[in-house]
Amino acid sequence: MIIMENKNSIRTAALLIAAFLILVMAACILYLFAVRNHAQSCVAEIYQDGKLILTIPLDQVQEPYTLDIEEGNGHVNRIEVRPGCIGMISADCPDLLCVRQGFIHSPAIPVTCLPNKLVIRLRPVENAATDAGPDAITY
Amino acid sequence: MNTKKLTVLGLYATLSLAIYAAESALPPLAPIPGFKLGLANIITIILLHRYSFRDAALVLTVRILLSAMLFGQVLSLLYSLAGGICSLSVMYPVSRLLQKKLPPLTGAMGGLAHNAGQLLAAFLITATPGVLAYLPLLLPAGILTGLFTGLCAWLADKYLPRQAI
Repeated sequence: MIIMENKNSIRTAALLIAAFLILVMAACILYLFAVRNHAQSCVAEIYQDGKLILTIPLDQVQEPYTLDIEEGNGHVNRIEVRPGCIGMISADCPDLLCVRQGFIHSPAIPVTCLPNKLVIRLRPVENAATDAGPDAITY
Repeated sequence: MNTKKLTVLGLYATLSLAIYAAESALPPLAPIPGFKLGLANIITIILLHRYSFRDAALVLTVRILLSAMLFGQVLSLLYSLAGGICSLSVMYPVSRLLQKKLPPLTGAMGGLAHNAGQLLAAFLITATPGVLAYLPLLLPAGILTGLFTGLCAWLADKYLPRQAI
């Protein structure tokens, strides 16, 4: 195959592609930092097969506890809820990526068990106590 | 397809399957679903630069089907196919736009497309909007790993014997 050598058009294409890639990277990294630094109290939402099955306000958790989520086909995922964070502690999926991910505190990255179609994500809630009133009152 | 082409492409398919198997044996880099180097993509990039889109697509399909049969489950076949189709359909026009120069850029676009396609498949299969939260993590990961596999392809190209098919 004979290719018409055109150095200029290669350079233009390369620059455009590189610019696009850098833009995507920068946007993603900025977004991740923005979400991570947005520390506030969260509600954990547990989705199974795309349906929201459980909602747990994490700032109201006093003592850690575990709960088992059973799938219709006999698969079980065990979730541990702690004050302020949540994670998968055991599962019978083949890769155990969900367990290795540990406990999450922020909405940045959800815990996902793809084989068992289970997703735990955190959703930030507006903290009524700090938003409603003034921070401090002096007389 | 003549015998020589069949043999050459068969060897490439074997090579990429071997690379895939070796990579599966490594512990996962990060506990994030879909996060991996994708070293078998090196072969796809080399084929795309040496031969035609059809040849690259053929070897990729054979590798995906064989790896799913040997190591995977049905679900991982769907994810691999989604990633493979997306990455190849992006890498082909990009490699031709770059006139087969600079494979790392082609690889980076391919990695990006692969992860985007795979995440879309996960979104459709699990029907959970939550998995899209991985997007800002997996897109840069795809770019970086694609850049790396493209670089590998660029370097390996000098050492793999060239066969006209």
